[in-house]
Amino acid sequence: MRQGRLVATGAMLAFCLFALWQSLLLSLTDRLGPGPGFFPFWLALIGIVLSLALLVSIWREPGPAADASIEEVRILPHGWGALRCFAIVGLLAAVTIAMEFVGFRLAMLVFNAALVIALGERRWWLIAVFAVLGSFGVYYLFTTWLDVLLPTGRFGI
Amino acid sequence: MEALGHLLQGFAAALTPGYLLYAFVGCMLGTLIGVLPGLGPAAGTAILIPLTFSLDATGAIIMLCAIYYGAMYGGTITSVLINVPGEAASVVTCIDGHQMAKQGRAGSALGIAAIGSFVGGTLATVALVAVAMPLASLALKFGPAEFFALMVAGLCLVVGLAGNNMLAALLMTVIGLLFAMIGVDPVRGAPRFTFGVEELYDGIGFVPVVMGLFGVAELLLAAEKRQTHMVEAELKSWMPTGAECRQSAGAIGRGTVVGFVLGLIPGVGAIVPTFMAYVLEKRVSKTPERFGKGAIEGVASAETANNAYANASMVPLLALGIPSSPTIAVLMGAFIVNGITPGPFLFKEQPQLVWTVIASFFVGNALLLILNLPLVGLWAKLLKIPFSYMCAGVLIFCVIGAYGLKQSLFDVWVMLGFGILGYLLRKLDFPIAPAILALILGPMMERSLRTTLEISGGSFAIFLDRPVALILLAIPVIVIAFLLFKPRSLAPLRESDIE
Repeated sequence: MRQGRLVATGAMLAFCLFALWQSLLLSLTDRLGPGPGFFPFWLALIGIVLSLALLVSIWREPGPAADASIEEVRILPHGWGALRCFAIVGLLAAVTIAMEFVGFRLAMLVFNAALVIALGERRWWLIAVFAVLGSFGVYYLFTTWLDVLLPTGRFGI
Repeated sequence: MEALGHLLQGFAAALTPGYLLYAFVGCMLGTLIGVLPGLGPAAGTAILIPLTFSLDATGAIIMLCAIYYGAMYGGTITSVLINVPGEAASVVTCIDGHQMAKQGRAGSALGIAAIGSFVGGTLATVALVAVAMPLASLALKFGPAEFFALMVAGLCLVVGLAGNNMLAALLMTVIGLLFAMIGVDPVRGAPRFTFGVEELYDGIGFVPVVMGLFGVAELLLAAEKRQTHMVEAELKSWMPTGAECRQSAGAIGRGTVVGFVLGLIPGVGAIVPTFMAYVLEKRVSKTPERFGKGAIEGVASAETANNAYANASMVPLLALGIPSSPTIAVLMGAFIVNGITPGPFLFKEQPQLVWTVIASFFVGNALLLILNLPLVGLWAKLLKIPFSYMCAGVLIFCVIGAYGLKQSLFDVWVMLGFGILGYLLRKLDFPIAPAILALILGPMMERSLRTTLEISGGSFAIFLDRPVALILLAIPVIVIAFLLFKPRSLAPLRESDIE
């Protein structure tokens, strides 16, 4: 946990340093007063000070107790939990790419079926009903009733 | 008197079949979201935003507000029946509510929770009617310096109440503000931090960010710990007895006051009023030993305070344009998406909208009471939905919500990115609420500060010449200094306080 917090705070420090550099590329002041870089510059500067203070504060924290369980120390998912998390993230990324090519309906049909299977469902008829309702049904509901445009892909499906 | 006239006009609009339907659907969906463990009001409100895309602004806000307080009540059902709070504010309800369920009194617990929520929510809305307009009139006298100070005060109070994690909360606020800087500069129109990416010219979309940070992150956390089915408590009846109602009357009154007062202060999370109302009830009780063993006053006080808080927290949003919690920030985002900027001008420029929305709070509270008493059994059955289907269903809404607003797949990637970020930040104990509030307040803060400095010719001394701005800036400094150097005897409220 402590190591993870150090890494995260370090990443935020890097982000603030990058923002500081980028804001310096913009004008801090102009003839009317503060310029586009003014507010982000001061924010980034405050962020750097806070990140450093937090880094020191975390550094000085005591490490995990000897009797702390592995669950308290571990940050990233592991085992079956990790597989489920990766399935969600991977399938979300895949459906985002696929929607551009095959449209919402087909991409969501496969996404729904794959996700519920990955999360442990095995009743094929239920998977099929859910996948169809969650793709074609939802598409119909949102485009026809709620006037929300959803991607149709390159084949107009 | 003027407020009353506006309110009556608001009722005339809120009671039209269309808006009544939106309030009804919002209450149903909100309760459904609240019932499902792991999805709180913020996530629920965020993921259901796409349902309101095609509605007019008033209808959209009515539905989203109804989802919000529906979710606040929905969390009670799981707390009582299976000892799992549907959202953080229902943690206290678990203590006595589940004990009552074990004794076969689940119906009484849920019934008194519904009654308390109705009374607390309705009385808080009455107080909102009395307070909001004078507060908005006062705020109309504010210049950009006062508005900047007000937003700094609101943000700092959120940070100040983050407990031991204050430094991390301050950093998260700055990170949120920096993300808000992406896009076209609101004053000069120059692109900033866009790196030539066309989609970034409009800034990072608030809807995809909250859907990621709340919806996707919540699901990742839930997926990591495998969800299990819970045993359903037996429901014999859904009405408390007359004796139980009499026993709870005082608790409901006190819970309303505690919830309303704390709802006015930005940064006081929904859990604090419920804890405080519970502790107060235990202190004033002649038989405090019953608390924790199924005391109905414990359920009544916590639930009343919860809903009074939910309605009162609309006061800073409507009158000042300051969101006091992540859920209210999501609602503020929905206002902005619909072309409405919450704040003092709202009462002046769009009185019809604001009073219709306020009137809909009364309607929504009544609908929740009517819905929840007889439908408790139905809500309880929803707990049997397997996690795999709930997860897929929520993700469908997240994808549509992120994509639907601008028809941009880039926003779906933003949602996914912030989902992973939100998951990691939660695991690492970094508070997300300050970043969300900062993200939505960032552009307004920048505009106010830069206008102030343009007026003063670049001198910060203008804040010293403006007493209101000075006082508003002093409040968070004092609060944060006090919390940093407070005596040990004033430790924050903990769970042990109510045991």
